[in-house]
Amino acid sequence: MTKKVNPKLLKEIKKYGAFDISACFNCGNCSAVCPLSKEELSFPRVMIRHAQIGDKQSILSSLEPWMCYYCGECSSTCPRDASPGEFMMSLRRYLISEYDITGISKIFYRFPYIQNIFVIFIFAIALITFLKFNGDFGSLAAKIELVFPFYITLYIISYLFIMYKKTILDRLKKFVVSLNPSNIKNMIVHGFTQKNFIACSEKDYVRWFSHLLVMSGYILTLIISNLHILEPLKKQYLLFTPLSVLIYYSSLSLIAGGSVMIFRRLFKKGQSSKFSHSTDWLFVIMLFLIGLSLFLTYTSNIVFGADSNLLEIIYKINIAIEISWILIVVPFTKWIHMFFRPFAIYLNGLKKENSQVIVEEI
Amino acid sequence: MKEINIDVAVIGSGIAGLEASLDVADAGYKVALIEKSPSIGGRMISLSKVFPTLDCASCITTPKMAAVSHHPFINMMTYTEVREIKKNDDGFDLYAIKKPRYINEGECISCKKCEEVCPVYIEDDFEHELSPKKAISIPFTNAVPQLPVLDMNKCIRCGACARICPKDCIDYLQKAEEIHIKAHSVIISTGYDITPMNAKKEYNAISIPNVISPLQMERLLAPHGPYGKVIRPSDGKIPESIAYVQCAGSRDKSIGVPYCSRVCCMYAIKQAMLLSGSLPLADITIYYMDIRAFGKGYEEFYSEARAMGINFVKAKVARITADEKGSPVLRIEHQEEASKPKEIKHDLVVLSQGMIPAVRDFLGLDLEINEYGFVSSRDKTLNPSQTNIDGVFVCGVARGPKDIPDTIADAGSAAVSAVNYIKSIKGKSL
Repeated sequence: MTKKVNPKLLKEIKKYGAFDISACFNCGNCSAVCPLSKEELSFPRVMIRHAQIGDKQSILSSLEPWMCYYCGECSSTCPRDASPGEFMMSLRRYLISEYDITGISKIFYRFPYIQNIFVIFIFAIALITFLKFNGDFGSLAAKIELVFPFYITLYIISYLFIMYKKTILDRLKKFVVSLNPSNIKNMIVHGFTQKNFIACSEKDYVRWFSHLLVMSGYILTLIISNLHILEPLKKQYLLFTPLSVLIYYSSLSLIAGGSVMIFRRLFKKGQSSKFSHSTDWLFVIMLFLIGLSLFLTYTSNIVFGADSNLLEIIYKINIAIEISWILIVVPFTKWIHMFFRPFAIYLNGLKKENSQVIVEEI
Repeated sequence: MKEINIDVAVIGSGIAGLEASLDVADAGYKVALIEKSPSIGGRMISLSKVFPTLDCASCITTPKMAAVSHHPFINMMTYTEVREIKKNDDGFDLYAIKKPRYINEGECISCKKCEEVCPVYIEDDFEHELSPKKAISIPFTNAVPQLPVLDMNKCIRCGACARICPKDCIDYLQKAEEIHIKAHSVIISTGYDITPMNAKKEYNAISIPNVISPLQMERLLAPHGPYGKVIRPSDGKIPESIAYVQCAGSRDKSIGVPYCSRVCCMYAIKQAMLLSGSLPLADITIYYMDIRAFGKGYEEFYSEARAMGINFVKAKVARITADEKGSPVLRIEHQEEASKPKEIKHDLVVLSQGMIPAVRDFLGLDLEINEYGFVSSRDKTLNPSQTNIDGVFVCGVARGPKDIPDTIADAGSAAVSAVNYIKSIKGKSL
């Protein structure tokens, strides 16, 4: 098989993170020390090798980056201080930008301030428009929130299709799916529990738990906003109802998990928080703000009543944050990793099944 | 305070210090050879054989040790520690403490009777804790001088040694003696320690008994070693598979020793060869990042080892755990064919530790050391022995990792530099 070599590949990936894999001399310490590196998927050294020789094809079709949960053992034990863990993180950023058909992720990753400016810009425009709006804001918000799911679904489908194409179609040259229940179960279990986060030899439960909090809180928030469950301007809510528990859980876990993440990045706790890309900061801060504004909207509805002016302003801020989040942050950069990770586990199972078929045919 | 006037003070009596002392003394200058342990000889006397010639290490070190101890111009000061070095207009003032052996050194006839009757066993540091020795004992078989040392911290004051001594020379009340040495020049030959066994915590070398240091393996291989044969420490089993973990204590930024220690590849190959001699049925595997066989005859030595059937595997060992029988299990990335992580069990594992400087603080001497603690040369290429201070010279591993032939050449260079320096200042003062 011939391979196309891209001599600029390493330079290109370097723009996505802080690592020094040109120092790597392929001793294989990282792949051996990694608790997640397996017989069939051994990383990071092989990935580093692909990058060093400029084998872009292999990198685009690899699932390994999504199997890495960045516990950082490879980086802390690397004899060359080459930061293989950060390299894997950068590969994920690189793959997201390569799988993004719009190409906007690439711009946002390379020039991070552009994304920040856009977020603030959209937020400001939305907020000003809402504040000037004198009509029935509750109905307007309902319409806005109902557009979200279509918009997001479109992006998810395009991302997952491209991932499927690069990793399966381009490699096996045929369209295959797997309905094997263990494959699907694996995908769901890993997607929801993220147990690989604590596979590290030094278990970092804080990191796993805060990530789980943020993820579960965020999924609930996504459901609440996209299905427009909350109508604070129309209904009067009570302190304790099934809905209130849902809201408290999702908002408080976003606030708690988000602040832990911000704290860890600020004080560089653990290998994975040593280097923060600007998009990481934006991501955790936005999650924190979403949780906070949701919480304030709900509690001010209880305290001040559905027709209070203060509530309306808070709710408008909440919707403005959501708009800038959905428009600028969700479709580009980091967000899609929450679908890529479980999907990669599924695709890996699919790949394994099909490679077995090939062997049997021979 | 005892005062001694000499020309050159040599600090450290490993092979570098021995060679430098002999060279200076043979040129007709007076030398004080200061050694903190009870015997001269340093690391080399504890080795089994040397690469690439496979000469017996003690057979080629002991003649040098004997020559030093009998040389009329060499004042051999063992069990003596330098406490302070001061530079003055005339040269150097060294203030040293001669530690008490608790025996009358002038009277002792090395009959070893005290050692025979002593009831207290302590760890033998010369055998790297592989075997015990008595609380009063001569440090090792071919120690120079052949004088016993009493470990006062472990001694139970039973008096057995004092009663048996035919010369009545046990002195429990002996005090440390202060010595003032005036020298024109100083040669630093303080040598090295190996990287601590706990430097890389993934190797669990402290908790797994069958993960040993290369110096322990040297003792196991030495004909007069602790057991007389190669057995593994935990249960005395004769190991059927032995692994070497190369770059365990150097070329690793994560443990703060990024430089290459230059000798580990070669001593591992040497030990592997000796092992295949003493344990012909054992499998020997060397896990390496790359083999650096750079010296004269070294590459041939390496090829010979390959031809002998020693297994060379390119992989950096990432982690060592133990199975229920205490056998170490190494985790590596298998790199031939498809890459995959792999766990491999061995009976005995040797961590090829690197070299770190034994002394980093030169006690009042404002010596320039590099970022890793080795003494810097004023000019690395053209004048390697000269330090930043006039009259102070450095040789051997104190200057940077070296094998034995390089160390001996280095010691000669330092000796000539010191002699020339003394000639130049004596010429001025006349």
